[in-house]
Amino acid sequence: MFKKKSLLVILFVLIALLCVGCGGKKKAKSNFIVPEGGYDGSEVTINFYHTMGSNLSDVLDAYIIEFNKLYPNIHVISSKIGGYNDVRDQITTEITEGNQPNLAYCYPDHVALYNLAGAVATLDDLIASTEKDASGILGLTQEQIDDFIPGYYAEGTSFGDGLMYTMPFSKSTEVLYYNKTFFDANGLTPPTTWDEMEALCARIKEIDPKSIPLGYDSSANWFITMCEQYMANGEKTNYTSATGEHYLFDTDINRSFVKRFKTWYEKGYVTTQTIYGAYTSGLFVNTKQGEGELRSYMSIGSSAGATHQRPTKVDGAYPFEVGIATIPQVNPSSPKVISQGPSVCIFKKNNPQEVVASWLLVKFLTTSVEFQAEFSVASGYVPVIKSVMNNEYFAQTLANADGGDYVSALSTKICMQQADAYFVSPAFVGSSTARDQVGGILDKALVSTDSDVDAAIARMFKDAIDECEYNS
Amino acid sequence: MADINTMHQKDMAKVTSKQKFVTVLVQVLLYFFLIMVAITVIFPFYWMINSSLKTLDEYRWSVPTLWPTTVMWSNYATAFSTASLGKLFVNTLYVGIISTILSLVITVLTAFAFARLEFKGKNALFAGLLATMMIPGELFTITNYGTVTSLGWLNTFTVLIVPFLVSVFYIYLLRQNFLQIPNELYLAAKVDGTSDIKYLWKIMIPLALPTLISITILKMMGAWNSYIWPRLVTRGETHSLITNGLRNAFTESTGDVNIPVQMAAVALVSLPLFLVFLFLRKYIMKGVSRSGIKG
Amino acid sequence: MVESKQQWKAWVYLSPALILLLVFTVWPIFNTVRMSLLNGYRGLAAAGGQTFEFGFQNFVKVVQYRQFKDCLVTTLLLCVITVPVSSFLALLIAVCLNSIKPLRRLLQTIFFLPYVTNTIAIGMVFAAMFNIVGNIAGGDPNSTASSIATFGIVNNVIQLFGGKPINWINAGSTYWHNMFVVIFYIVWNALPFKILILLGGLQSVNKQYYEAAKVDGTSRTRVFFRITVPLLSPMIAYVVITGFIGGFKEYSSVVGILGEDMAATGSETPLNTMVGFIYDALENNNQGRASAAALILFGIILLVTLLNLYVSKKKVHY
Repeated sequence: MFKKKSLLVILFVLIALLCVGCGGKKKAKSNFIVPEGGYDGSEVTINFYHTMGSNLSDVLDAYIIEFNKLYPNIHVISSKIGGYNDVRDQITTEITEGNQPNLAYCYPDHVALYNLAGAVATLDDLIASTEKDASGILGLTQEQIDDFIPGYYAEGTSFGDGLMYTMPFSKSTEVLYYNKTFFDANGLTPPTTWDEMEALCARIKEIDPKSIPLGYDSSANWFITMCEQYMANGEKTNYTSATGEHYLFDTDINRSFVKRFKTWYEKGYVTTQTIYGAYTSGLFVNTKQGEGELRSYMSIGSSAGATHQRPTKVDGAYPFEVGIATIPQVNPSSPKVISQGPSVCIFKKNNPQEVVASWLLVKFLTTSVEFQAEFSVASGYVPVIKSVMNNEYFAQTLANADGGDYVSALSTKICMQQADAYFVSPAFVGSSTARDQVGGILDKALVSTDSDVDAAIARMFKDAIDECEYNS
Repeated sequence: MADINTMHQKDMAKVTSKQKFVTVLVQVLLYFFLIMVAITVIFPFYWMINSSLKTLDEYRWSVPTLWPTTVMWSNYATAFSTASLGKLFVNTLYVGIISTILSLVITVLTAFAFARLEFKGKNALFAGLLATMMIPGELFTITNYGTVTSLGWLNTFTVLIVPFLVSVFYIYLLRQNFLQIPNELYLAAKVDGTSDIKYLWKIMIPLALPTLISITILKMMGAWNSYIWPRLVTRGETHSLITNGLRNAFTESTGDVNIPVQMAAVALVSLPLFLVFLFLRKYIMKGVSRSGIKG
Repeated sequence: MVESKQQWKAWVYLSPALILLLVFTVWPIFNTVRMSLLNGYRGLAAAGGQTFEFGFQNFVKVVQYRQFKDCLVTTLLLCVITVPVSSFLALLIAVCLNSIKPLRRLLQTIFFLPYVTNTIAIGMVFAAMFNIVGNIAGGDPNSTASSIATFGIVNNVIQLFGGKPINWINAGSTYWHNMFVVIFYIVWNALPFKILILLGGLQSVNKQYYEAAKVDGTSRTRVFFRITVPLLSPMIAYVVITGFIGGFKEYSSVVGILGEDMAATGSETPLNTMVGFIYDALENNNQGRASAAALILFGIILLVTLLNLYVSKKKVHY
């Protein structure tokens, strides 16, 4: 029963992905239909909520000026609301009064929440539109669609109905930072599989018994990534589903990798940010010697945080060189890495021109090679289109990539190399609870002192499912 | 009785020196205790200053340092400029002053009615008011947001001022204070034909001045610390208040918060409050403690 | 006739306050009751045009929730422990302050400082003080398998006095260690207001009682329990009652110490409180359940306050 259901779900999602993949054909279900003639040039004001710091909003503002050269009557007001959760809380309150913004930074689970009120405009009809426009056509050309990194573009359809709700804006993923100086000195190479990782940790423990070889920043990411990697390897496991039964993560495979990592933790191979009690990057960049000084030689964290994984200069030079590699895999020939970072969604409005104008801005920003390049370099996030590689400025920056001053460029380079491996988890009301809960399982299991390990882990999974179900 | 007296006399010298010793010992213990508590109280503040002077990297060191290795005074400058604290400061002051004045007027009238006038259902009404203090405030926010939106108040100073003009706590505070003023004064004034307002202005208000001052300060502090509501109902610098600036300005491009700079901003923002407190300490303390005098 | 004139006048004086209260306090309360009685009410879904049936399902869901009892117990424990501890400590400090001369003003000012701070920000500072950075094998920092980078300042002090470091709030710490830190913080936070009120009370106590006691040669402890406490009983009652009301609404101090999860890493027994429970429901846009939980909490606070008032009526000396 269970198996049948999940197979069906996977099939459904696959079909949905294929549909979008083959060009976003016009769907009857689309909740927003482009008005005749597309954008009519009328005066509209667009509110854009985001989380950008001033260094990034400066880049945005510069490109809004460019945008206004094409569309002088579209006035964009961009506001920094706070963090991602602040944006979500603000908008959920505003939706109940119908005064939500036109455009916002979002994560998939936020959109699932907004969809309760049916407030987000689907983009399918806009993407497919061939109305004439100042930039050519209103929609996206096949070339433009193909230019998006597929894993990022697919996030827009992770809501279970195959419709496109979001566009990727700037993305990040997880990468493995390693102490290249130490690795080179000891003849070590970064691991490609988890088995290799285990052997490597054992080896590092022999070289430096006091170290914790690996720090993993996010336990939730770790759990979800493992699920995806096992699924990609054709094994019988799952995480969540946007349709039908949501919470599918209580499987034998998942319980067994949790148990395996528990043994790693007990051997002192690994720690996570929450367990360690501080950023694991702090452990990685620590170069001080002496009593009570801990260090790690590998750190798995956000590709956008590369500068935090670089040690501070001592006497004008970095104490060690940072190496960056892709994260280990269950099966390196079908790799999976998590896709993170903001997308944007467009909200429905009484005046369809506002929606069309918002779309024009989104299209402008996400398909502009120059904007994507400059924004990526300023933020450390990865651009969402492949052609950025051809941009001179961007290529220049990547060419400089190294384990010191240009560590961000190095991480971007590694991210771009694994463009085919990105996955997005299904989004629905309660998907963020599931994320919190599975992260909690890993943390609880790792530190648990229960003598009956299997029973304890089984209980943790059951509690997590209960908690998810209560909250959905 | 006589025996005891003679004994008493004999031991007098001994007793006094012993007593002196005990008194000194007690005093030493008292100071020791009080200073220990004072250190406990102050430590977190020291830690805040310490963190505010560190670089982000040093803040993230796994072994925290008791004093920054490189002292980053620039964090304070960064905090001031990135959060445009100047403009927000003016906004906060404006909202604080207007809402304090209006709030004082309303509170005085209400407290006077509850303390001096007789009307049907007075006690029930007062109990009802007190009961509203027990409801978690977050639930009000949802509904109030709807109300101010339909009133068209979003993005105005009105929306920051009006919904919070009435505080049951202040009414309670002032009523307790008014109750302590002998009723005879009021009756005498009545006989003289003094109007209520004049009586309030000439007698009640001067007598309750410490309480009014502490309400003023608490109200200003409220404007200073309010966060969720202004964030919800205002957009951009024009109407934002100081705490909103605190939180918004220090996110790094990676989404991390630059905590040292944020701590610097917290310290900067707390400074006026500390100063106000130092200068008006007497009034605040008097005012707050009066509220307790007749439970 | 004076009567009716006074009635009329009273309502005029009250009107500004009452109108504002009706709009911004009473109406929200009604709305809360309404939302709590609509099964599975969600604000967003309502905005999307969904309708909800009338019923008690929200209350049932809330009470049946596996963590409801834990939230309630934690909240009650926090109240029952922090209120007496902070009240007694405040009384002690107030009495001490009242019997010294030099440094009194300075100390008084210092003790008031926590009153003008942001709960969550200072909570983070407290967490840093108790934090242990490192891998704590089996939750025991003293185990040989543990590798510790740094003990927080609190554990440093314990070690200084020859004690063994304690895992207060980190991975594998126990409910009661977490509880201790939270209680410590709540007490720290609650002291200024209480000291202020009790000190104010002490200073208004007639000195003659103490003179008389001195003449009688009554011991200090006896003076404290026989004179100070009874004379201060109205203030003590006030401090205790407001303490309980605040205690039931405890939330931000736990978040400040343990983070938004309101639990130590890997802990299977979180320190979630009733208000934390309400916030969680709001976060999931579950206003129906949040309202139901808030009303339950309101009921409890009302009950306890009435009980408190009843006890203090019997015990308080005026």
